[in-house]
This record gives sequence, structure tokens and C-alpha cells, in this order.
Amino acid sequence: MTATPDNYRQYFEEMPCYLSVHDRDFHIIEANRRFREDFGQRVGDFCYRAYKGREEVCPECPVEKTFHEGCSQISEQTLVTTSGEHLPVRVWTMPILDEGGKIVAVMEMHTDLRRFKLLEARLEQSQARLAQLFEEVPCFISVQGRNRIIQHANRKFRETFGEGVGDYCWRVYKHRDEPCLVCTPQPAFDKGVQTEHEEVVVSLAGRTMHVLCTTAPIRNAAGEVDAVIEMSTDITPLRELQSQLTSIGLLVGSISHGIKSLLTGLDGGMYLVNSGFAKDRPERVKQGWEMVQRNVERIRSMVLDILYYAKDRELEVKPIEVVKLASELVESMQKRASDLDIALSLEIEPEVGVLPGDAKAVRAMLANILENSLDACRTDTAKVPRRVDFKVRRSPPWLLFEIEDNGIGMDRETREKLFSLFFSSKGVSGTGLGLFISKKIADKHGGGIEVDSEPGRGSRFVVRLPLEARPSTQPEQAQAQTASRTN
Amino acid sequence: MAGKNVLIVEDDPDIVVYLTSFLEDHGYQARSAGDAGKALLVLDGFRPDAILVDVLMPGRSGLDLLVTLRRDPRWQDIPLVVVTGMDQVLQDDCQSYLLSQHGVSGPDAVLGKPIDPTALLAVVGKLVGRQAPTAAG
Repeated sequence: MTATPDNYRQYFEEMPCYLSVHDRDFHIIEANRRFREDFGQRVGDFCYRAYKGREEVCPECPVEKTFHEGCSQISEQTLVTTSGEHLPVRVWTMPILDEGGKIVAVMEMHTDLRRFKLLEARLEQSQARLAQLFEEVPCFISVQGRNRIIQHANRKFRETFGEGVGDYCWRVYKHRDEPCLVCTPQPAFDKGVQTEHEEVVVSLAGRTMHVLCTTAPIRNAAGEVDAVIEMSTDITPLRELQSQLTSIGLLVGSISHGIKSLLTGLDGGMYLVNSGFAKDRPERVKQGWEMVQRNVERIRSMVLDILYYAKDRELEVKPIEVVKLASELVESMQKRASDLDIALSLEIEPEVGVLPGDAKAVRAMLANILENSLDACRTDTAKVPRRVDFKVRRSPPWLLFEIEDNGIGMDRETREKLFSLFFSSKGVSGTGLGLFISKKIADKHGGGIEVDSEPGRGSRFVVRLPLEARPSTQPEQAQAQTASRTN
Repeated sequence: MAGKNVLIVEDDPDIVVYLTSFLEDHGYQARSAGDAGKALLVLDGFRPDAILVDVLMPGRSGLDLLVTLRRDPRWQDIPLVVVTGMDQVLQDDCQSYLLSQHGVSGPDAVLGKPIDPTALLAVVGKLVGRQAPTAAG
């Protein structure tokens, strides 16, 4: 059965949208029921008045455009009903042609966009909220595609690692020239699983951080993983605390052996004293007593070092008279040096002036190094005149303390372990802790210690402290990594 | 009767003096070496009845020296006592480790530091095959 004009009439009337037909002069010549319900009986009226309550043609009038261009137009408009309600609508226009193909009228179809607009507004709102969350979360967040290019990065990420969007994650995050060997997003891309791992990264500012990173898959509408989101939290303070505790544990472990040797030495001294008295051998008593004194002194140093280390006090930074500190320190060690037949010299540039720092700590730091040098000379049995030279000079922005000896020297392995807790200078009168503490003190002042050495020729320590006070706020990564490696 | 000879391999000079005096007071003759290398030099012209070896020394460790001695037909039957403050050596199964990793038998005894003098005398005496003598006058 084919539709009759009456059927079309019915369709026109009953369509659930506003249908109206307009002539060239913007008069409404026909309108359907829905239209009449919301806009009233408007046939003969101007469409701009009927639909929008305007007194003149709308700018960008779709009807006008249709007449002009001869084809359908689609647009979004806001209409005003008789009850004053504003209605967002989508408008389609269709040209109506006469038998000659000339446009004689335009039909407009309007569909209600209210619900659509509401959903659109809600979507925008929730997107904005999500974006805000993403931006402001105090973790480093990035989203990467399969090609490992960063698609999104939040503020904390950008501030810490740079504007990464559009660049490879391995370049921005890890400062590599090529993809990582172990790619943390891989399991998410391959199997759609979430993983967690810990790593060490470096910020733009050069700060090294321990982070805990969670990598999760992001699926597209088809359910395929086309991106991953990586969220990292800075756990450096936690690791520092942990390493401190571990260090203290390690400390006790690593020095326990040293203490036992010292106690054995003490036993030895006492045995010699006692047996010396029993056998009436005064020279043995003398030898034994010297052993006792020596080992008590070594034990005392060790205990004090442990107590110092365990306390980890804050620096008291004040101006230090460098000339005074260095001269007094060297003077206090002269007797010991001459007893051991070592020439201890001091050379200070007169203009070294004042250094901001903790005088007690700086003194202890330098004393430990001097002790170490004296020991190095003592243990070297070759018959060469032994000397330890202590030089102090300015080299802006640093003040340099150089301690050079021509003692036994160190091989590379010893030199590399020198400042770590593992280094135990057993057998000589060190506790194994002194240099570790020295390095800590130097680091805390914002400076550092470097050592150069050759077995058989001697060693040279260079301590540099900043001339302008800037105590370091950097975590001690060397210690942290050393400690955590033993876990 | 000639006293038995003991070689002390130890880098701490105070401990060397202690052990030497103590052993000599108890009828032994003692010689010492400050590290593994020097010990091998000393052993070149001197065959002790027992060797006391410290573990942590500069250069090669005492256990390293033990492996060398055990592998050499000249010295492999000399009784060897490890003297150490290291907990790991005292607690771990030294024997099976040395056997499985290096194919040698472990020390004949292990003594901890600080040294118990009575234990030292008993161990050394047993290893050189005689009772602990009374202290010489």
C-alpha cells in the first residue's frame, strides 16, 4: 500500500518534534501539533517572532541560508516557548521545491536538546573535576600510549620532570637515550595487569628521589589496553628513616668484630701485666700496661664514635675562625705524631678568614682524617721519612682542607669503600667509623670529601666546605643505597 | 723435649704479642706473620705443628689462606685453628661451605674472640697431640 497525501499529513502533524514550513519572507505557512502546543497558533506570523520572540531576522538564519544556498542546513538554536521557557534545539532545514526545481519554501525540523544539554553539562563538570583531581594530586602522574609517548602529565610531574607531554616517557622520566630495558608499563599493555615497583629517579633540579610507582592499564571503548597511567609517590623520607635504622643495625654488626678484637687486645695486656707480676718480670708488666692503655683508648674512641653516630645531631652553624681551629687541632696531634716519628705540618693561607659551620663537628671531621693519615704512615714499615701535610686554602665557593700523607696508601677497592660502613680498618687504631662520620659531617655542611691514593705512595684527602652557609638538605643517597643493598 | 711450634697469622700486633707470650709461657714456641702473604713466606722454611689463623686481615682473608694451605701437599696436614670475631664464621657451617665451594676441608677448630685462654690451650694441645702442660716457670 503506498502512502497517500493524507498519510503524509498525519505524519507531519504527529512527528514528536517541531515542524514548520517557512516562505521566503519568513512567514510560517504551516506548523504541526507539537509546535502549536508550545508556541501557539502562529501560521502567518514571522518565524523569528514565533520561535524566539524577536522583532527581526535572526543572525545566521537557517531558513535564509537554505534559500540562499539551496541545501539543508543543520544548526543549534535556542527557542523561547509561550511560557517563556528557553529550549535548546537542533534544527534541520529542508528546501521544498516546485515542479521547476525552484525553492518555494523551507521546512524546519527542531529536536529537543534539553536532555542532551544537561548530560553535556554534567559531563563537562565531571571532566573538569577529574582534570582538577589529576592536576592537583600530590603524586607524579603520567599517561603513556603504547608508543611510550606521554599523553598527559599532571602538575607535580611537569614541575618535577619537565613538560613531558609528547615526548618519550623513558627520556622525560628516566633521562635515557633509548627505551628502558625493563619497561614497567609492559605488563599492563601485555596482560592488562596493575603492577607496583620502587625505583630511584632524578628531578630536573638534580634531586634524587626514591619513588613507589603504580602502573595501571587504561582501556578504550573496545576494552583494549591502549594506554597506561603511572602514579609515583615520593618515599624518600621513609627510605631515609629506614636506612638510618638499618645503618645503626649494620653499624652494630660491622663493628662487633672490631670490638671483639679490641677486647682481645685488652685481655692480652692484662695477661702480660698479671703474668709479669707473677714471674717478676717488670719489662713484661710495662709492655702489658701499654697494651691495656692502648686498647682502652681504642675502645673509648669506638664507643664515642658509636654514640656520636647514633645521635645524629643537628649542626650548630656559627662563624668558625679557621686559623685558630686548624692550629689548635694540629698542635693537639703533634705529640702523637712525633712519638710515631711522623712530621706533621700545617700550611694556612692567612686570608682564609671565617667559615660558617659547626666548629665541634668540623674539628672532629678533620681529626678523623688526620688520625687516619697518621695511621697510614705508622703501618708502612718502609724506611722513608714519614710526613703528613695539612694545608688550608680558599678556592671560592669553597674552603679547602687538604691532608696529604706518604704512608701506606690504598688500593682502589679500599678507596671506594673508605667512607662506607663496610670499611673496617681493622688492625690499626681506627674504629672504622671515623671516616664515615667525617663524610657525614662534610655532607651536612653542604660540602664533600674526595680522596686520591696510590698503594705504596700515600693518600691525599681534600675536604671542601662552602664559604657561604648552605647545609645540605639532600638525602644521603650513598648511605641509603649502600644500606639498602644489604637487605 | 723440644716444644711444639705454633704459627700465628694475625694482623693486630697486640693480639700477636698476647698469643705469643701466652703460648710460650705454656711451653710452646711461637712465630707470627701479619698477613696471608707473609705467612706463606714464613712457611717456606718453617713447619709448625699447628697454625692459628685470623679471618679479617688486610689483603687475603684467613679463609683464603686456609684454602691455599689445604690444597698444598706440603701443608695440608698441619692442624689449623681459625680465630675470629666474625659471627658469620662462627655460626655458619664453615665446613660444608669450604667443601662445596672450594673442595677443601674446613679448619680443625674455630675459636671466637675474645679468646678464652683455657679453650685455646685445650684445642691446641689436642691438635698437636699432647695434654696441655703446666705453665713453664
